Amino acid sequence: MSNLQITIGSQLVNLCSVLLLLTCFGIIAQRRLLACVDLFAIQSMFLAVMAALVAYLTDIHHIYVAAVLTIVIKVIILPRILKQVVRRLDVKRELALYVNIPTGLLICGALVILAFFITQPIVHLGFLLTRDSLAIALAIILIGFFIMVSRVKAITQVIGFLVMENGLFLGATAAAYGMPLIVELGIFFDVLVAGLIVGIYANQIQDTFSSVDTSHLKNLKE
Amino acid sequence: MEIHWPLLLLILTPFLIGLSGLLSRNRGTLDALQCGQAGILVVSVILVAEEVLTSGPLSGLFYLHTDALSVWFSLILGIVGATGTLYAVGYVGEQLDRGAISFKRFQRFFILFDSYLAMMLLAVNVDNLGIMWIAIEGSTLLAALLIGFERNKGALEAGWKFVILSSVGIALALFGTILVYYASENVMGVSEEALRWGVLHQVADQLNPEAMKLAFLFALLGYGTKAGIAPMHTWLPDAHGEAPTPVSAMLSANMLTMAIYAILRFKILTDQAIGPLYTGNLLVGFGLFSVAISAIFLLTQQDFKRLFAYSSIEHMGIALVGFGLGGVIGVFGGLWHLLNHALAKSAAFYGAGLVLLRHEHKIVDQVPGLLHGIPLAGVTFLIAGLALAGMPLFGLFISEVAIATDAFTRHPFIAYGFLLVLTLAFVTLLYQILRMVLGTPVEQKVLKLGQRCRSFATVAIAVNLGALTCIGLYVPPGLSDLLGTILALFGIPGK
Repeated sequence: MSNLQITIGSQLVNLCSVLLLLTCFGIIAQRRLLACVDLFAIQSMFLAVMAALVAYLTDIHHIYVAAVLTIVIKVIILPRILKQVVRRLDVKRELALYVNIPTGLLICGALVILAFFITQPIVHLGFLLTRDSLAIALAIILIGFFIMVSRVKAITQVIGFLVMENGLFLGATAAAYGMPLIVELGIFFDVLVAGLIVGIYANQIQDTFSSVDTSHLKNLKE
Repeated sequence: MEIHWPLLLLILTPFLIGLSGLLSRNRGTLDALQCGQAGILVVSVILVAEEVLTSGPLSGLFYLHTDALSVWFSLILGIVGATGTLYAVGYVGEQLDRGAISFKRFQRFFILFDSYLAMMLLAVNVDNLGIMWIAIEGSTLLAALLIGFERNKGALEAGWKFVILSSVGIALALFGTILVYYASENVMGVSEEALRWGVLHQVADQLNPEAMKLAFLFALLGYGTKAGIAPMHTWLPDAHGEAPTPVSAMLSANMLTMAIYAILRFKILTDQAIGPLYTGNLLVGFGLFSVAISAIFLLTQQDFKRLFAYSSIEHMGIALVGFGLGGVIGVFGGLWHLLNHALAKSAAFYGAGLVLLRHEHKIVDQVPGLLHGIPLAGVTFLIAGLALAGMPLFGLFISEVAIATDAFTRHPFIAYGFLLVLTLAFVTLLYQILRMVLGTPVEQKVLKLGQRCRSFATVAIAVNLGALTCIGLYVPPGLSDLLGTILALFGIPGK
């Protein structure tokens, strides 16, 4: 790889990572559930492009497999399942939030700074091509976590979880050019099953409580 | 590569028996298969232990790898898994007899339950940290389905809380694993070997200290969530309270223990990279906090399954303090504590399940006089309760004293704090247990337990309490050899 290629390549990889981060903010700012699902699908698309880019630039072929799986599972299958759940449950919007949108955006801004702060001492260990993405990966994980705790509807909590997974995948690709293939396959399988199980739960919660507001789930506490 | 049959048998048996549940159309076959599974688990885990003791670590197909530490946890998971299987046959069978669940769901329960055991056994017997993560995540997903199995409001709420919290936890743990990979690639270059624990163990002193610090922190928070360490424990009382009782027993005795195992694997690597101070402080801190939190909540519990759940948080905390102190006695105390806790706590849950089946509620105040009402559960509560409170003659007393001693010789202040919270937990747990065991029964209308359920429960409880009492009085030479080998893994020269 020539120097020029690395420079341009790492700029493109960074661009993809930043777009991923941007879609996170989009999800935070969005109340409509279907739009949140779409934003997640777009985010996964950027992730796949980024993975394919890294695979092309480094000539590590198994990352292509991961990119294709990302498209199949996270861009096509999971959004479809989620949209079905949203339609079946007839919930369109997230009305009550634990944290309002402007505050949420500010908190996420702070999380991004925190992520850069945490990863700063170890960034120099990484590969030239992708090392700047490590901080962004951690930021996406933290924002996914924030989505899970700040939203009421079961569906958005699932989206938060999937955003965390995207952050992890970005982290693995950025930090280590992807995990070994067998590990990556296992992770994809687990994510898919997790998505299904959460879908099952959302349905059962709807049937039993007549609502997917997880704020109804508060009988068990001290 | 050699094939080690006992090891393969140990992991594959529950998988295959679980799957064969799909085919068996009648109850007799299903029961027989489960009993077979219990037998095979015990025999194969003992064979694996012997092989490792005589000829060192085993490596098999597909990243399977068993060293002394794996054997220790396999013993816990295998033996308690076996009695859990037997108990489940009785307990879920009773629900089937009462018409609370259909045969189809009875069948489904065992498919999930067996695969859950298999996933946990796989997790402690693989060399690759990535595969270990996958197995632990797999067990989480199966546990989620098992917790919500009864599909009432409580079970759904508990299951949902568990899925969400442990997904977050497991995601953080994966980030920790990625960071280890990041650090090891820096030493070894891009390779498949860079996630193998055995290989990492050899180069651990060259791994970047900053990266390993972060990796351990994420792994501790992540797997710690699964281990029910305070303040990430909030899912635990709900899940233990609402899950079908055999599942509560497995959650407490096996899953928490497995999560501690994962933390230990990361701790050993991190200690080699940066010395034991950093991980030790974190473990002792979280451990003491867990014991303190649970000691307080033990007192206010109105629900006996939640009571035992808080007691699990306490015991995981105690074990963590032991591992955090990290001396010979501390590590021994931690390991010994996990083994004894698993035996005692699963027995306590088996008893709790019988009371629940008899009274159909879990309210502590309403079930006094268990010794009269249902002696099997009463005696179980009494023995397991005394053991869990840390009375002498039981292994938990020995390990608690060992950990306190280790603390005294190293950091007296930790010892004072530890003994304070321990005393509090001792008093509160014992008070609650005695309240249920003694006195006169208040409820006249109770359901009768079927003969089948009684006999299966008796066997499961007898094996657990028998083993608990035996190792309380006398440590078999095999176990002490095993402990010596594990201490060497922790970088401590043998006894």
